[in-house]
Amino acid sequence: MKLVSIMAKVDKDKCIGCKTCEKLCPVLAIQIEDKKAIIDEDACRGCANCADRCPVYAITMVKREEPFTVKVDVKQFPKEAIDEICRKAHVNPEQVLCYCVGTRAEEVAAALLSGAKTPEEVSSMTGMRTGCTIECIQPMLRMVEAAGNKLQPIEGGHQWYGKTITAWELSDEVKDKYKSKGFFFDEDKELLDQIVNLKLEEGQNEK
Amino acid sequence: MKNNLLKSPIMPISAKESQYGVDPSHIKKRVAEMPDMVSVSLKDLFPDLPDVIYPGAEDSLEMLYETAKEEIRKIDMGKIKSGDSVNVLASHHGFTLYGGEPYAILLRAIRDIVEEKTGTKNIRLRAGVGMRFRETEEYIRRYKLDEYYNGKAKGMAPIDPGIPIETEIGTLYGLKAAYDADWIIHAHHTDVREVHFHRQIDKAVKPFGMSYARIETRSTYHQNLGPRAANFIARAIFESNFVQEKFAFAAFLDVGPHGVIGVDADADLYALNDRATFIGCQLYGKVMHLFGKIDECIAVLDFPCPVPYVFSAGVIYANFAGANVDLYDMEKPLPPYTWYTEAFYKKNGKPMLDSIPPLNPSIKMCVHNYAWTGYPSAFFSEMIPTVVVGAEQAELFDMEPMNMTYMNHATIAKSTDAAMEFAYNVTGTDKVIIFDGAMGGLNCSKSLAEFLIEVAPIVSKEVEEDLLPKWLKQRGVDISVLEDIQK
Repeated sequence: MKLVSIMAKVDKDKCIGCKTCEKLCPVLAIQIEDKKAIIDEDACRGCANCADRCPVYAITMVKREEPFTVKVDVKQFPKEAIDEICRKAHVNPEQVLCYCVGTRAEEVAAALLSGAKTPEEVSSMTGMRTGCTIECIQPMLRMVEAAGNKLQPIEGGHQWYGKTITAWELSDEVKDKYKSKGFFFDEDKELLDQIVNLKLEEGQNEK
Repeated sequence: MKNNLLKSPIMPISAKESQYGVDPSHIKKRVAEMPDMVSVSLKDLFPDLPDVIYPGAEDSLEMLYETAKEEIRKIDMGKIKSGDSVNVLASHHGFTLYGGEPYAILLRAIRDIVEEKTGTKNIRLRAGVGMRFRETEEYIRRYKLDEYYNGKAKGMAPIDPGIPIETEIGTLYGLKAAYDADWIIHAHHTDVREVHFHRQIDKAVKPFGMSYARIETRSTYHQNLGPRAANFIARAIFESNFVQEKFAFAAFLDVGPHGVIGVDADADLYALNDRATFIGCQLYGKVMHLFGKIDECIAVLDFPCPVPYVFSAGVIYANFAGANVDLYDMEKPLPPYTWYTEAFYKKNGKPMLDSIPPLNPSIKMCVHNYAWTGYPSAFFSEMIPTVVVGAEQAELFDMEPMNMTYMNHATIAKSTDAAMEFAYNVTGTDKVIIFDGAMGGLNCSKSLAEFLIEVAPIVSKEVEEDLLPKWLKQRGVDISVLEDIQK
């Protein structure tokens, strides 16, 4: 869930149509038309990637006159269906995946069960990955894939490139080679598994 | 009580113009200016801290430049040919240390000596960031590094175009701009900063998995391997053939919690890392352990950088918020604050596991007098009573994509005086610690200073005799390296 209270605004006099913004928007809200960036205001989730990478400072973030909330209701789906996607992605349904927005895994699973098939659609529906846009990309990709979707980066874009290794895939050879250097590979995997497998009682954890 | 150790407060650096902070004109007062505030010299607390070059005499920055050149000149640069391209890789945090100028001096010295020794003029500065994509662009302008690098200086952000790097653990991704040269030079420092993340494991290598890396790599670090295995990502990238073929050498600003000690340059990054581990564990470890002894206090944020990164005596607020646990002890899986920990809080605000420690209960209140946005900080205001000075700062946080909910939990005071009065009245403590980056010492209330002076000798003994040997053993570092450093 995210309260979308800001949006990107383009100064067309400054815009040089370089496409930098278009290539890194996590919700695909920007298109270049006639060598100028056009923002789809309804689609923008206010991450500021475009404003912060525009080489000519043509984009600023402004307050929305009518802020709105994006949210997917987790309760519309059976708990088992939510759990299945989360466990497959090695996360606990209540685990926070996006530290900026506070999106939890269960809402991402609900978005995927609602029909989202890509990271961009999940971001649009939940607000996940519309803060820093950095740190939650891996669990996002894990979740999208766990729901049965093929990961396909945007052609020519830099939104994301691909999934990387997890604690569950590290080889024994690598672990044995480096564990004396202070890396706690198996112990950390055990900790993560403890979280993943933790059963939280429904209804008892609400504020 | 050694009252002669109590000194006048050290005035912190002024508020800075930045898109991440309010206009400096809104910062009317610094907490160090308030009555009852004093400073304590870190050398007085820990007399065995090494001497520093800076802060020091009027010409200390010139001395640092000369020292840097001398150390870098010792490096064999035979493989860099005249006409080769060289990227000097830098990171944002170096510019927050001791006013920023010392790190800028290191970057100038590297450029000068590389040109002097190799003849190449194609030397570029590539300065990476964390979550504040414009941060190093601001520093490049502030320290005129673009001019110094003949127009070849630029900031890099983790969402900029990347390149795949094949590693021992599969494909990871670096920033294209970091590696678009024949050679790379790793320009960093020994400040510990985020001990909660790296746990002083391979700290010297970390930027290869962070400020020189794409989002996919950073996210792998923070989400995929676990809190004590994460920093392996940096090593995996550094050890890749791709990076090894480009790596020329590393040049580090050796800093301690009290100042700039010197410059360390080496073509063997792991040798340099061992020395940095000592500095991190021994020097910073003492301050960290000392702060862990504080029983109650008001924590004041008063420095131009994001909430978790404001620092006192080299310890960042995020680590003080975890100082109730020994962050260097690898047997402790989850620090009170780290992203893995934050992820494991349930919807009711309680941790998922009983073993997850709370944020430092000795912090009775946080007075946010001056700190920036640019890092997700709502967890702090949610867990620690926080009062923010000035509606302008509150408004800035409300407008920032990473901090939309920071002010949901914090309250606003109209002035620094009002915020402090509120904090004193509500908490009942007169112990105040100020995270304002004071150089050479730390600013705090008289009552806290007296407490720190009393316990510092005990802390020093505990670190030297019990903790340091344990910390080093956990990191596979031989204590004989310490003797080499002392020589």
